[in-house]
Amino acid sequence: MANTNNAGAEALRRLKEVDPPSLLAPNPTLSETARAASQYLFSSIRPFSQKCPLDQLLVDGYDAEQIWHQIDLQTQPLLSTLRRRVNQFVKNPDEIAQLKVPSSVAKKVEAKNHEEWEQESDDFDEELDEDDDDEDDFEGVEKEEKNGGSDGEEEEDDDDDDDEEGSEDEDEDEEGEKEKGKGKDSGIEDKFLKINELNEYLEKEENNYENAEEADDGDEDSEEDDELEKAGEFEMDEDDEDDDEEEDEDDEEEEEEGMENARYDDFFVGKKEKSSKRKDQLVEESEDSGDEDDMESNKQKKRTASTHEKQLEKIQSEIELMEKANVEPKTWSMQGEVTAANRPVDSLLAVNLDFEHNVRPTPVITEEFTASIEDMIQKRIIEGLFNDVQRAPRLPSKAPREVKELDDNKSKKGLAEMYEQEYVQKIDPTSAPLSSKDKLKNEASMLFKRLCLKLDALSHFSFAPKPVIEDMSFQTNVPALAMEEIAPVAVSDAAMLAPEEVFDGKGDVKEEAELTQAERKRRRANKKRKFKADAVKRSEKKARSEKKEDNAIPGQVNG
Amino acid sequence: MIRRTQRLKKEYLYRKSLEGKERVNYENKRKIREALQEGKPIPTELRNVEAQLRREIDLEDENTAVPRTHIDDEYAFAAEKDPKILLTTSRNPTAPLQRFVKELSIVFPNAQRMNRGNQVVSEIIESCRSHDFTDVILVHEHRGVPDGLIVSHLPYGPTAYFGLLNVVTRHEIQDKEAVKTMPEAYPHIILDNFNTKLGERTATILKYLFPVPKPDTKRIITFANKSDYISFRHHIHEKQGGPKSVTLKEIGPRFELRLYQIKLGTVDQAEAQTEWVIRPYMNTTRKRKFLSN
Repeated sequence: MANTNNAGAEALRRLKEVDPPSLLAPNPTLSETARAASQYLFSSIRPFSQKCPLDQLLVDGYDAEQIWHQIDLQTQPLLSTLRRRVNQFVKNPDEIAQLKVPSSVAKKVEAKNHEEWEQESDDFDEELDEDDDDEDDFEGVEKEEKNGGSDGEEEEDDDDDDDEEGSEDEDEDEEGEKEKGKGKDSGIEDKFLKINELNEYLEKEENNYENAEEADDGDEDSEEDDELEKAGEFEMDEDDEDDDEEEDEDDEEEEEEGMENARYDDFFVGKKEKSSKRKDQLVEESEDSGDEDDMESNKQKKRTASTHEKQLEKIQSEIELMEKANVEPKTWSMQGEVTAANRPVDSLLAVNLDFEHNVRPTPVITEEFTASIEDMIQKRIIEGLFNDVQRAPRLPSKAPREVKELDDNKSKKGLAEMYEQEYVQKIDPTSAPLSSKDKLKNEASMLFKRLCLKLDALSHFSFAPKPVIEDMSFQTNVPALAMEEIAPVAVSDAAMLAPEEVFDGKGDVKEEAELTQAERKRRRANKKRKFKADAVKRSEKKARSEKKEDNAIPGQVNG
Repeated sequence: MIRRTQRLKKEYLYRKSLEGKERVNYENKRKIREALQEGKPIPTELRNVEAQLRREIDLEDENTAVPRTHIDDEYAFAAEKDPKILLTTSRNPTAPLQRFVKELSIVFPNAQRMNRGNQVVSEIIESCRSHDFTDVILVHEHRGVPDGLIVSHLPYGPTAYFGLLNVVTRHEIQDKEAVKTMPEAYPHIILDNFNTKLGERTATILKYLFPVPKPDTKRIITFANKSDYISFRHHIHEKQGGPKSVTLKEIGPRFELRLYQIKLGTVDQAEAQTEWVIRPYMNTTRKRKFLSN
């Protein structure tokens, strides 16, 4: 073991002394030494790299690429662990004193390794602190580092080396880029970029990576996958960026905003706050995860927290969407009364509007409808049920002829009586006794006569004036024409009664109030005279009547 | 002549106003008749008028027993006289409307078509009255499509206003149809689903446009009411085969009628009383049916 160690150390030393130009030409001895040196280095680092599947570097019969890969396998996880540890030490300098060293390693080695680690970390820090974009510079730095590590393969196969270096560089670059951002003019430390935050994030990622290997948790795997994808994406973008930075930015903007595809511009060009929120979440998560000391408990908490946190994330994103929608102005269909000026052209065609109609819709004449009507018609025809107009039974226009029955019985009235009746009828039709007809008939005929009179008067057809009935009736003072013409076309003022019949008197008629004194006296005088004359007459009458009574022979009356 | 018509109108209105009293009279007579038949005492409110009413009951015959309404007066002589119809259009009719009116004049037997020119409606009505027409039908249109029908019964009779929908004229079918002539026999009438009082009224208005047919005519005109839309159909039927099967062949125009107003006067009487008018903005119109039950 010591021998090999010594041989390895010797090889390493010899490599260091080699003249750089001689590395350009392929040299088998140099390659041998290089291999040996790398083997030695590998095995010396091996105790500290727990995750490495290789126990020693296999160099016999392997070409440069394969050797590089083996080295990668060892160093990659180691680097992240180292970074984390360095950060921890930066935070808590006291811990440096408490630094534990695995017992399997000799102190010398330990010291040497210490130096190397410090060198590496120094280099690394230098890397971090440098602020150049140039990849060549990076390459240069890495070359230095790799020379310190495992080198010599470069002279074997330039292309491969270049590629590998390129890939190494890319890996380094990706980390650097992550730190720096793809801006044209940014240093490593921005107002947005904090190394502490970055380291925390990296720790978290590294833990995820470790957990993925140990745990069977699907979530973690997915996280790891996401991470690896991200790494892959980063590499792709690296290639693009070599050509055109602007294109990259366009690509970034076109990509979905997943955590896998987050770019600096997404966060810090100022547009999308969501991404920055996401980044904050990441940072928070890394912080949360970073605060745990115990890996196991950390792992456990992470598992439960992550599902919960995933839910939270979902809800948060929904809330964001809804809040955003609420803050924005509403769509036109949600506003109250919208005229054509307030909505886009022809937008009403796309919307299904719902109106309440109060009228029944007009019937559409379908085949079924016609068929139903025709069925009804056929039924009616078969039954013979039509709604035709029926001839109404006419009222008899003529009364049935009166059939005169001949009475064979002997008439009760004598001939003389019959003649008498006829004579009376001729002279005075009204006073004649009623003929022996039905009382009802008489009544009917009287009613009919009256009716006919009225109708005739209305129609002016054949008017016969009212029969003059000479009974003691009062003559009313009605206009004469009213009596003679029932339907007065013109109403005359001629009175029925003659003026003398209306007023019997002469001269100037004056009221009591109008009389003069002399006239009053005259009236009174006339009155007295009349009264006296009447009184004389009465007394004479009385005298005569008394005389008659005296002269009267009792018991015999003339007359 | 004017005064005569005015007097007749006044009589008509007066008799219409008496209908209330007549109805009351009729009711009382009926009560008394019932009481007499059943042997029950006469109701106390009728004791005073009982004697007179009893006499009237005895004097009644079938015709006078039934209480008459103005409606019966309007169509009193319709059953005895054949109808005589005048068909016109609104002013400046389009050619399709003229064709439609020509078709209608063949559909209604005993109908005459007249050019409208620039006659006023009142003139038309006057001349119709003097020429003893029983009905006047005016057809209105919208851009060639007939959309209105006004049926006015003439001696002061009612006017019914219809809207026409889904009009299919014979001219439109003319190309496909082989038969170009139409029988002009007096048709049978089918009135279906007129159940309410208003429905009966519309049914009589439509019925008395046609004369009394012979029982064996082949021509059938149908007015089928479905949710206030009256479908007019015109068929010829043939009884083919022994079993009661009937084949129908549709001829003539086909349209839907929608009644929207009935007025108790002729068309020219703008101030006539409305018997019924459609209420489209009433809340329950959608649920109700006015012509059927």
